[in-house]
Amino acid sequence: MKKVLTLAFAAGLASQTAAPPVHAAETETVFRFYCAQCHGLTGKGDGPNVTKDFPVSPRNFTDATEMSKLTDADLRNVILDGGPAVSKSPMMPPWGKTLSDEEVDGLVGYLREVCACQGG
Amino acid sequence: MKGILSTAISLTWLFALSSAGQADTAAGQAAFEANDCVSCHYTEGPAREKTIEDQLAKTGPELWYAGDKFNQDWLVPWLADPQPIRPMKFNSLTEENSGDHPALGADDATSVADYLMTLTSGAVESGTVKVKKNAKGRQIFTKKMPCSGCHQYRGRKGETLGGRSGPSLTDAGLRLNPDWILAYLKQPETFKPVKMMPVFVGLLSDKDMANVASYVGNFKPKK
Ligand code: HEC
Ligand code: HEC
Ligand code: HEC
Repeated sequence: MKKVLTLAFAAGLASQTAAPPVHAAETETVFRFYCAQCHGLTGKGDGPNVTKDFPVSPRNFTDATEMSKLTDADLRNVILDGGPAVSKSPMMPPWGKTLSDEEVDGLVGYLREVCACQGG
Repeated sequence: MKGILSTAISLTWLFALSSAGQADTAAGQAAFEANDCVSCHYTEGPAREKTIEDQLAKTGPELWYAGDKFNQDWLVPWLADPQPIRPMKFNSLTEENSGDHPALGADDATSVADYLMTLTSGAVESGTVKVKKNAKGRQIFTKKMPCSGCHQYRGRKGETLGGRSGPSLTDAGLRLNPDWILAYLKQPETFKPVKMMPVFVGLLSDKDMANVASYVGNFKPKK
């Protein structure tokens, strides 16, 4: 009985301390599922949709120079409302009706990790 | 009297027809199970996917609304001689579709198609979309919205253009029921609660969805 209790307690602790990384892993899943089709699994802008007749290059998220020109608010806007909302190509889809606010916030943080840069 | 007789005769006919239909459907279902189609395709609604993991765990697309989605004239020959629909392997962004879908013999293809066409959602209104060279639909598909970024489609000369992460739509006019295309855009939670395609409800009006369904439903190989 005591053992079971300890185990349950340990499991509780583990899930508590594990909470933030679990969230990060989820964001990676979200990125790979929705964004990688165009931006590529590692964010270099080379997903399977980018063939020679794709009209514009999807942003390369590893390009710190370009990515640091965008503020976190810019990132959030373009993810929610798509390219045209920031005078960019409509090939960047609007995800506001698909993703939750939490998922969008997670993606903004994730893109900052990928570019290893801050918004300017 | 004559009226009654002929009514009785046509009623008998109707019964005969519908029970023959049922027999075929049962044979189709049996063939579907015997060929292990069930190991990759589920056939009972409603949609089961709640998370991205659920969607990625699948080894084939769900078929519980196959009767809403497909044209039977396309389905029968496809089951006997399946050709790739998705340019990429199912649920993969890195591997090409190798086109290794199991094929059925001609008799099974017919009965399995009969069975699959009985699987419906009850959520598709029929006769709402008229397919045509819809200029508004083309504008939305190729310019205003990113549809062409993820789907192969036919250009004005019949050539194949577009992205590769979604199912190819180049033969959508043969393959898909245009009323289902509209329902798919309007009610994503019914058919595909979790998918790589964005939700367009609230971004495209019902009218624009009908225009784009009319445009997509008109893609056919050039004769
Ligand atoms: C259908 C292809 C496609 C998908 C899917 C896609 N993008 Fe994009 N994205 C683009 C293209 C193309 C651009 C470049 C637009 C331009 O430069 O005009 C872009 C640009 C961006 C930019 C930079 C915007 C700027 O102002 O430079 C961000 C940030 C972005 N995408 C985030 C995302 C995220 C996050 C996802 C997943 C939720 C995603 N994208 C999914 C095609 C796509
Ligand atoms: C190993 C898993 C697997 C088995 C077994 C299998 N399928 Fe499939 N099926 C798939 C995949 C993957 C696709 C998508 C193919 C493509 O896009 O080209 C597919 C596509 C289909 C489609 C078109 C669905 C759509 O939404 O595009 C039908 C209809 C179908 N299968 C019927 C069958 C029948 C009938 C059988 C049994 C003879 C069967 N399948 C056996 C994996 C399987
Ligand atoms: C970011 C990529 C992306 C964009 C943008 C996109 N789609 Fe899709 N679409 C997909 C994917 C992936 C599927 C397959 C979903 C599944 O079966 O899991 C799909 C499925 C479909 C289907 C069903 C095809 C079939 O055989 O099952 C239709 C029709 C369709 N999309 C039309 C459109 C239209 C119209 C637009 C623009 C308003 C659009 N799509 C925009 C990726 C996209």
